[in-house]
Amino acid sequence: MNGSVGIVLVSHSAELATGLGELLAQIGSDTVPVVAAGGTDDGRIGTSYELIAQAITKADQGAGVIVLPDLGSSVLTTRTVLDDHPRADVTVVDAPFVEGAVAAVVTAAAGGDLDAVITAAKEARDVPKL
Amino acid sequence: MSPNSDTPAAPDPVGTQDAPQAEVTVTLPANLHARPAGKLAQAAARFDSTIRLEHGGRTINPTGVLAVMGLGATTGTTVRITADGADAEAAVRSLADILANAE
Repeated sequence: MNGSVGIVLVSHSAELATGLGELLAQIGSDTVPVVAAGGTDDGRIGTSYELIAQAITKADQGAGVIVLPDLGSSVLTTRTVLDDHPRADVTVVDAPFVEGAVAAVVTAAAGGDLDAVITAAKEARDVPKL
Repeated sequence: MSPNSDTPAAPDPVGTQDAPQAEVTVTLPANLHARPAGKLAQAAARFDSTIRLEHGGRTINPTGVLAVMGLGATTGTTVRITADGADAEAAVRSLADILANAE
């Protein structure tokens, strides 16, 4: 386990996923592989099996990968990808999209392992914003 | 120990611990927004000491970036950093440095 835990952002919107990735780069660090998988293959609103599968491969540095879906078919398509390619170290996490990603990237940047990053993302649900 | 409860301040158990303790209070030169919060949380995770951040009557663990942002600490207000543990001094210094140099 040399590299960082990877993070895949799945959204219906390519801009939403990419924009969140840009935010994470400012808050976290460039050592954490964050890969956006937003929109359909041809750039429309929706989700793409291929984009998600490719993003997981790209985010994988050997320390595991978490996939954060925004909602709806992002969850369903991610599940289909993971059902077809089951791996113990790649997991979809039920967390708020923005807050979960921020908590995850900071934990990964600090050297947290896969379990720590999953926990950080999940706990984001319970941290008050105000 | 006086039976009279005429002291409003909480009892202060200073000096009873074996582990080193450290604390410092920083006046923020800028709002404690996302970027410094991220730096702070990453730095806090590198120490073994138990670290606490206090602001506006709330106390949080600074390894949680969302909790740090949730403090809503703004320019000119103070944040108190305390640490308990072998590397308490270094932890407090490191975090104070990040807060004092936040932009």
